[in-house]
Amino acid sequence: MTKQAEIKLIDTLWIVLICLTLFSAWMAERAEPGFISIVIMAAVLAIKGRIIVDHFMELKHANKFIRTLMRAYFYVIPALIIIVYLYPDQIARWTSLS
Amino acid sequence: MNQATLPNPGQHFSFTTHSKNIPGNLAIWAAILSEMSEFAVMFIVYFIARVHNPELFFEGPTRLNTLAGTANTLIMLSSSFFVVRSVMAVRDDQLKAATRWLWGAVACGILYLIIKYLEYRWNAAQGLETETNIFYGVYYYVTFNHFLHVGWGTAGLVWVIYRINSGFYTKTEHEGLVNMALYWHMIDLAWITIFPLLYVIR
Repeated sequence: MTKQAEIKLIDTLWIVLICLTLFSAWMAERAEPGFISIVIMAAVLAIKGRIIVDHFMELKHANKFIRTLMRAYFYVIPALIIIVYLYPDQIARWTSLS
Repeated sequence: MNQATLPNPGQHFSFTTHSKNIPGNLAIWAAILSEMSEFAVMFIVYFIARVHNPELFFEGPTRLNTLAGTANTLIMLSSSFFVVRSVMAVRDDQLKAATRWLWGAVACGILYLIIKYLEYRWNAAQGLETETNIFYGVYYYVTFNHFLHVGWGTAGLVWVIYRINSGFYTKTEHEGLVNMALYWHMIDLAWITIFPLLYVIR
């Protein structure tokens, strides 16, 4: 990739991150809480995390072990958001001492 | 031990393993993965507290200042972007431009800390404190921990500006700057996770 193309890509990704954040803020204020909005929020987090890991940290074509760990973080946390929303009682039982 | 494998005194030595294609060096990745694990433990605490107190976690975000949370997210993302542009500028041998981008990131770090401080004061005026309920207990524990990271991260950015100005980094040798950039992105990653968990999701 040429230097100009690299700069253009990074600038574009920054604007994408800003737009996703404004969308999240809009959802926090306006959207009805529910399963759909939870899935959208989890997806937004997964996309933002992936952009930063792949392009800002430059892991996209780097060491596979580190890349896999860092990418996994932004699969696991969004998945937990959805799982915790769907099965709160079950998880509460698993995490009770008595 | 084979003497030939030891670096000579005064010779440049680093943990960089170019053959393994690691950005920065291994030491900073050990630090980043430790920090990410630390934040992961906090997120697990959040999830467990949430399933045991669904009403408090449903109401909690509505009383927080969404504007402050959103502003700080935009600021953190922009600071990360400035840091990326700074590394690109150094690779292009534009050291002056690199320090300008970094000062932008430092300004973002300071602005973040000011907004967080004002947010805490705003919370206190609304009667939201660590003891209010478990949601705010988790909120203060996680966000104050992150606040400290932004504080020393900003100091680290000032340090690499000093290193650039002192001529320590060149177009080809600037591992310290890349390490600091990676560490700063880690702080950004932690915040973009905290923001939906505490301010948005209900």
